[in-house]
Amino acid sequence: MHPILADARRLFAYLAACALAGTGLAALLRLADVAGWGNALVFALPPAVGYGFIALSAYWLCRALPHDDRRGPVVAWRFGGAAMVASLAWVAAAQAWNATGTLGAAGRPFVQMPPAGWVLMLVAGTVLYLVSLLAHDVLVAFERVREHARREAESRVLARDAELRMLRTQIDPHFLFNSLNSISALTAFDPDEAREMTIDLAQFFRRTLALAERERIPLAEEVALCRHFLAIERRRFGAKLGAALRIAPEAEACLLPPMTLQPLLENAIKHGIRGLDGGGTIEVDVVVQGGWLHVAVANPVAAAAPSARGAGAGTSAAPGLGLGLANIRARLAVLHGTRARLDVRREPARFVVEITLPADTEPS
Amino acid sequence: MTPALRALIVDDEDLARRLVREFLSKQADVEIVGECDNGLDAVKQIGALAPDLVFLDIQMPRLTGLEVLELTGRRSGVIFTTAYDEHAMKAFDLHAVDYLLKPFSKARFDEALGRARTLLGRDAPALDALVATRAGQALQRLLIRDRDQVHVVAVEDIDCIEAQGDYLAVHAGAQCLLKLQPLAELEAQLDPRTFIRVHRSFIVNLAALQSIERAGADGHAARLRNGKRVPISRAGYERLKAWV
Repeated sequence: MHPILADARRLFAYLAACALAGTGLAALLRLADVAGWGNALVFALPPAVGYGFIALSAYWLCRALPHDDRRGPVVAWRFGGAAMVASLAWVAAAQAWNATGTLGAAGRPFVQMPPAGWVLMLVAGTVLYLVSLLAHDVLVAFERVREHARREAESRVLARDAELRMLRTQIDPHFLFNSLNSISALTAFDPDEAREMTIDLAQFFRRTLALAERERIPLAEEVALCRHFLAIERRRFGAKLGAALRIAPEAEACLLPPMTLQPLLENAIKHGIRGLDGGGTIEVDVVVQGGWLHVAVANPVAAAAPSARGAGAGTSAAPGLGLGLANIRARLAVLHGTRARLDVRREPARFVVEITLPADTEPS
Repeated sequence: MTPALRALIVDDEDLARRLVREFLSKQADVEIVGECDNGLDAVKQIGALAPDLVFLDIQMPRLTGLEVLELTGRRSGVIFTTAYDEHAMKAFDLHAVDYLLKPFSKARFDEALGRARTLLGRDAPALDALVATRAGQALQRLLIRDRDQVHVVAVEDIDCIEAQGDYLAVHAGAQCLLKLQPLAELEAQLDPRTFIRVHRSFIVNLAALQSIERAGADGHAARLRNGKRVPISRAGYERLKAWV
């Protein structure tokens, strides 16, 4: 549908413009002394409005000629031909309309148009149609560009969604099977504890599934998920595993991608606490500072023994660790671009991961 | 009455060890002689106790179950337990090595135990292949046993490896460690993209290579980052040229 015909207000404005052009034509006829005002208007207005509709047909002509497949001669021939045909038809119709004046009371045509007048109308009609063609061509080009941009934006959103979905649903199967094994062991000598652990595991997975559907979640929800996770891990590793979560109250409402903190805790246990004979405490500090949310997870690691230069580097570069961090980094980049960062710091006896991202909260 | 089977349980999780203990308690002729919660300890206990059966977890801190086997040379009476380790499981299936997937049932446990009983004291050749191929993964760290100590050297820290009789001298920075292994066997375990055999008795880490110098009429030598000079044979030079 033509954009002018599809909108009543636009159509009204366009018809008004056509009527104005018709009035202009009538004024010219009056000036040329071929008719009085009344007859000039009666003659000029219907052809002006009629030609307004004819000129709109240029829209479909432009759409039928794709921009990326155009050769000069073909376009000139078609556009020129169409303008001539439209103009000829218009002038013929105008003559017929003028002739209907003889049927009236005066028994004469509305205007006494000299042949040069008809020729002028023919030329003017052709030029007007060409102008209409050009205007429509630009309009169609704009429409195409807009459509293309919209489709591109749509596909970008789709790709981003798919990427996030892929990155989010990565729960370590090792964790699941080990937890089930622990429950299997507990059932024989501590059924209550086994039940508790089953419930923690169920809660953890239920939350994980619910959160994975969302793009960003309040920190408080992520922390709740982490508490279930730590409860399970504490049953597996016993007193070896300590955790200190220091979350600033104003940070709890801040949004972050789901499963950002949990993999960091998982890494801290897998690559840090597990390798220490006496165990250790994972420290989580979350604060809001100057519009930024800072998340820091620190865990003790075995000091690199001097006899084994590579041992420390070997454990910190364990393949699982790099993958988990790369995953979080990728998700932060998708959501925040360069405004979010993840830094890893290896101190002599500690491993620290720091995340900084804009401190956004849910719009209320 | 036959003497009791002596079993060692190796797992870093207390509950996992407890489960094996519970299943074993129903076996009248099995005696649990020890428990280890890490790989290093397991290496020591296997040497000290010489158990008939070893229940061995794969993923443990310090040393993996496969590394324990490599260091101890233990090839019989091993029952692997693992929760989920894609690489290890693939390798087990490939070499037809039995293993227990956590969580496992009493019936499955008894079946594995029964199979181990029939093979008691006999070396399983499949384990040799399994350990030699590192469960199908490229070597990431080198284990060197030095009396009571185990040195762990990350492969990226190695500058070069030199054959010295039956031993290998592993040069990493200032240290030089001796390991009892044929050079060709280690060469097969290392990533061929970073480690090049430049000479009959030398493997060089490309990352440690600083320059190639002329030596003699038409010979060459490699200068490494720790200042060491390593001879390059004619065939070694061809291999190097393909990479540098």
